[in-house]
Amino acid sequence: MTRYKKQDPEITRRKFINVAMGTTAAVGTVSLVSALGTANPIFRLTPDKAPPVKGDVLVHASESKEGQPIKVSDLSDQLVRAWPMGKDKDGNNVIRKGDPNNILALYRFPKGQLVEPTKLDATVDGEIVAYSDICTHAGCSVSDSDQGDGMKCPCHSGQYDPKRGCKVTGGPPPRPLAQLPIKLEGEQLVVADFFATMPYPFLSETEWEKFKKEVEEQLA
Amino acid sequence: MNQWLDDRLHISRLNDKFLRKAFPVHHSFFLGEITLFSLIVLIITGILLALAYEPSNSLVVNSFDPGTATKPNLVPAAYHSALKINAMPFGDMLRRLHHWMANIMVAAAVIHMMRIYFTGAFKKPREINWWIGMLLMIFAALTAVTGYILPYDNYAYNTVKVVYAITASIPWVGDWVAQAAFAGKFPGDGIIPRIYGYHIMLLPGILLALTGAHMLIMIKQKHTQPQYAKRLAYKKIVGVPLITQQTPIMLILALMFTGLVMLFAAFVPVHPVEFFGPPSTTPINNIKPDWYLLWVFGALAIIPSFEFHLFGGLIGAEFVGALVLPGIVMGVMFAVPMFDRTDENQYYAENPTNHPVRLAAGVAFMAMMIVLSVAGYKPELISAGLLTTANANTILWILTFIVPAVSYFAVIGIVRGIRALREADERDALAHAHADD
Ligand code: FES
Repeated sequence: MTRYKKQDPEITRRKFINVAMGTTAAVGTVSLVSALGTANPIFRLTPDKAPPVKGDVLVHASESKEGQPIKVSDLSDQLVRAWPMGKDKDGNNVIRKGDPNNILALYRFPKGQLVEPTKLDATVDGEIVAYSDICTHAGCSVSDSDQGDGMKCPCHSGQYDPKRGCKVTGGPPPRPLAQLPIKLEGEQLVVADFFATMPYPFLSETEWEKFKKEVEEQLA
Repeated sequence: MNQWLDDRLHISRLNDKFLRKAFPVHHSFFLGEITLFSLIVLIITGILLALAYEPSNSLVVNSFDPGTATKPNLVPAAYHSALKINAMPFGDMLRRLHHWMANIMVAAAVIHMMRIYFTGAFKKPREINWWIGMLLMIFAALTAVTGYILPYDNYAYNTVKVVYAITASIPWVGDWVAQAAFAGKFPGDGIIPRIYGYHIMLLPGILLALTGAHMLIMIKQKHTQPQYAKRLAYKKIVGVPLITQQTPIMLILALMFTGLVMLFAAFVPVHPVEFFGPPSTTPINNIKPDWYLLWVFGALAIIPSFEFHLFGGLIGAEFVGALVLPGIVMGVMFAVPMFDRTDENQYYAENPTNHPVRLAAGVAFMAMMIVLSVAGYKPELISAGLLTTANANTILWILTFIVPAVSYFAVIGIVRGIRALREADERDALAHAHADD
């Protein structure tokens, strides 16, 4: 520190340097922040990333049977994982597994076991039901509980009851798993409509509605 | 040659300033050094691994199990290169060495921090180094997490998915931040290159810079002196100089330590990528983060689900459990030097029992962390029949507060007891001293 301070009526050297440094820092920060914008790539909706849409066929997701259409006889009260399979622009089959959040959970329960709040008119005969298999908490894939009481998410032990609309019966998930309306067409299980409620990772219904519109426009 | 070098580099001046820095002689002062050695070994093994690793999540044919021509077995390139590393001579061991070193670095850093806390070495003038140390811990954890993701097996995939979801749970800006951080919607085509960049460039750079600052400040401020130094030469620096005494000690320690971890790496398997397999939609049962993040995981497991909207932003259990709560914990740790009101410079490491409140608070804090970590094992506790689904959260929440409270008062009690004994001893000694006369 200097002991003698020079009194200068004009701008002091120190002041000048401070202002210059401040300005440089500010400009530098702003330009860095603008460069950060490039970190976030544009999202292109391709057929393999589209969510399950009307007319998609449900196919097996397990490695050994991947791509084979699911038959009613394949289903039971044990979870069966499925992908929606649609068509691309040229009419070829595409399994929509480009977005892992498209994974589905299928169950078939004896008549009468599926109850509200399951949307029964979106099931096949009140027996076969399809849900998004992605936990609404942090997006892990949900399994059958080893305790035999419904479904359990391995990540933070969220629990769901697949017979009652997959409502949350334990753990941190904020919402039930989204139910996917399905119907039987000949031998094949076919998607009848978009998810009835917003699936993971959507956080608000408006966002989900907007996305549905986008999908309809893109695939039309 | 010495003369030649000295003429140019003025080694004698460096010698006076740095190379003769006195190191206190006490084993607890080695903890920081062990952390440093781990970092060095991590960098060396990391470089070797990077030479053989392919940072890409594009799909390639698995050369170990190519499948058929019509149905090739496609796996992400990063995963494939992890398999190849395992197949190299000592490749698996190299991966394990890197893994164990990372764990040990964090462990040594945690114990080092405990030493600093319990002996009051964070007090003026060393507050800045406490804060830098905290940053080092945080960035070390981030580096470890990004490293976890690189093999891109199913475990890594699930991990990064949860990390992505946690980032996206930040109200208002979460979506944008998560996409910017992980190169687009999960799992973007560029996710592995992005994380590779973090893990080998950005984060190690930050770690090295912070470590440099940490050590420069330490050299400038000098170590706190152990208690015996007070008796030996009050207000003088006591210890052995870096050159020539401390250096051989350090070398021996570094080599012994590395050797030990090598043995570990040779015999204790870790993170078997073959077992987890490539990313898939089949969940892994009972997936867990590393031990030092288990408390966050535990907090997430017992936090009840809730959601509310605030000014158009969504605030959910995930955000609170995974970001707000750890934020508070980190905040408290950052604030530790601020609780100390003394204005004098601290020269000597304090005896923890002379500061019962600080000691008890520290122990209670650690107890809470342990209970939360145990809460991370909630599914196992339920499967084992110790808790039920219905009561698990309640019991774990009660324990989260009761155990720290009990340990707090227990520590205070024990310290009182020790002091009473010590005083009695002193009185005794005094009485006998008089009797001897
Ligand atoms: S992701 Fe399912 S409980 Fe957290």
